[in-house]
Amino acid sequence: MPAAIEINSVRKTFKKRRGKTTKALDGVSLVIEEGELFGLLGPNGAGKTTLVRCIATLLIPDQGKIRLLGRDVFRHQLLVRRDIGLVTSGERTLYWKLSGWDNLKFFSALYGMDPRQAEKRIDFLIDLLGLNEFSRDRVERYSSGMRQKLSLARALLHDPKILLLDEPTLGLDPQFSRFIRNFIRQDLNQKDKKTILMTTHYMDEADELCDRIAFIDRGVIVGLDTPSGFKRAIPHEEILELKCQGLFDATSIEKMSRVEKVSLVHENGIVILKVMAQRSEDVLSDVIRDLSAKTKILSINVKEPTLEDVFIYYTGRSLKDEPGSHHE
Amino acid sequence: MSSTPLANNLRVIIAEAVKMWRVWRTYKILIVFWGIFPLLWVLPFVFQGRALVGGLASANFKNLTGTEYYLPYILIGAMVSTYVFSGLWGIGNSLREETYWGTLEYIIISPTNPIVVLLGKVLSEFVYATATVIFQGLVCVLFFGVPITLAKILPIMLIIALLLIGFYSLAIGFAGLTLLIKETHGLVRTMEWFFFLFSPIRYPVEINPITKFVSMFIPLTYALVAIRMIVLFRQPGVSLWNVILILLLMDVASMLVGYITFTQLELRTRRAGTISMH
Repeated sequence: MPAAIEINSVRKTFKKRRGKTTKALDGVSLVIEEGELFGLLGPNGAGKTTLVRCIATLLIPDQGKIRLLGRDVFRHQLLVRRDIGLVTSGERTLYWKLSGWDNLKFFSALYGMDPRQAEKRIDFLIDLLGLNEFSRDRVERYSSGMRQKLSLARALLHDPKILLLDEPTLGLDPQFSRFIRNFIRQDLNQKDKKTILMTTHYMDEADELCDRIAFIDRGVIVGLDTPSGFKRAIPHEEILELKCQGLFDATSIEKMSRVEKVSLVHENGIVILKVMAQRSEDVLSDVIRDLSAKTKILSINVKEPTLEDVFIYYTGRSLKDEPGSHHE
Repeated sequence: MSSTPLANNLRVIIAEAVKMWRVWRTYKILIVFWGIFPLLWVLPFVFQGRALVGGLASANFKNLTGTEYYLPYILIGAMVSTYVFSGLWGIGNSLREETYWGTLEYIIISPTNPIVVLLGKVLSEFVYATATVIFQGLVCVLFFGVPITLAKILPIMLIIALLLIGFYSLAIGFAGLTLLIKETHGLVRTMEWFFFLFSPIRYPVEINPITKFVSMFIPLTYALVAIRMIVLFRQPGVSLWNVILILLLMDVASMLVGYITFTQLELRTRRAGTISMH
């Protein structure tokens, strides 16, 4: 039986101004089996969306092959598109001047659905996603979460075998995020057995939902495992995490003999320093001494490694880093 | 999904036209504008005619065109150009609209060829332009005595159909161009003025040898010549069959150019990764 998604040595370079180029994908290879919920994890600009767009036939790679259920996506693109449902993040992916119901009705025609069957399916999906009360309202009156639910309904209209979810919970409030996560795991993956490729830079989301995860950074797959496998692979049982006020230079900490990796993340004006060492207590006093001279330490914690820490271990970068930044 | 591809494509065309109508009707001011526009559009031409030739007819104008009826001549040009410009703005600009709405990618990733969706936009533009032209025609006949009779309507419709097949095909190619060049207003304006300058919409192109020469390559020229011939001249100056043949040949060429331009540019934008960029 062919794999649901088979990506083989895919490369994509974008031309920028003044003859410069950006390598968005640099020889990516992946195999995702049918029924798998697969997470693609990486910071902004890592190549996640580019890869999803290549699979969805929106973007043509410079090199490499992509096969969906055994079919080459560029040779058989109209056929392949019947098997794909796409959800992207972002407010504007629907007709705001149409009702939710009319949006779904229009897209059902694009998927060649019989009008009566389409109407039944639309009613079913609207009910499933809890949009009944608002289905005849214009989308411009919906909240972000409701729009994302409607986007999910659109992706499911033609009952595709493969779902591509690009940052499906980005910008949603916790209640809607929780609903979408549960829906993805329980309804789509466990009950309907759909193959799902989702991108995210929320590590807890990937940890909670995905059967397997690939880390992508600068267009390269840098790690591929199950969430628990990843955590086992990291040779540290604990991570030293210090929250500090104001920017500082962490080079001196990086150079400490028993420190293996250091990362800095800026979050709402607070700098979070993560230090990986064989034993946290061996470096704790040196780190505190060094930092006290440079900044104000707000809190100190010793934590079990998360997927974020695993990502830092593999790449030296945080998932929250902007493209081009690097701490190592 | 058991229907035939033809039935599916027809459903998409109708769904697209209905969608455009539903979006359009939410902008109430547009309904007011298009309700008034067909009644008022004629006034600038009337004032222009009175100022230049003192009324509806001119002997000097007859020397150039073969008819002394200046105003009906211009009104016919304005009516037919309504079709052309609604195609340019409506179809040519339509994919840019989808980009602004954020829905273009979802059209592209569906199993329907985007050209079928564009045909839906053609239908919606055609219905709108036809309604406008019918209003304009009534104004011309009732208030300005333009001699459009029932017997003349059928051949006029045939000429317009031949004009539109070619023109809407080129507009589909133009829509492909807007995927690549993200600024459409400048393009559409340029095309509009090109047609105004080189086809006999507002004046006889015989006035200048260059405009006369360039006009020979524009289908609108032949359509206008034929329609004016049907409406205004008793003795045809050119053979109607020749015009039909020329328009037919131009239609075939336009369909090929429109299709190839659109598919190639859509492919190129998918390679460049700029399909949804503003």
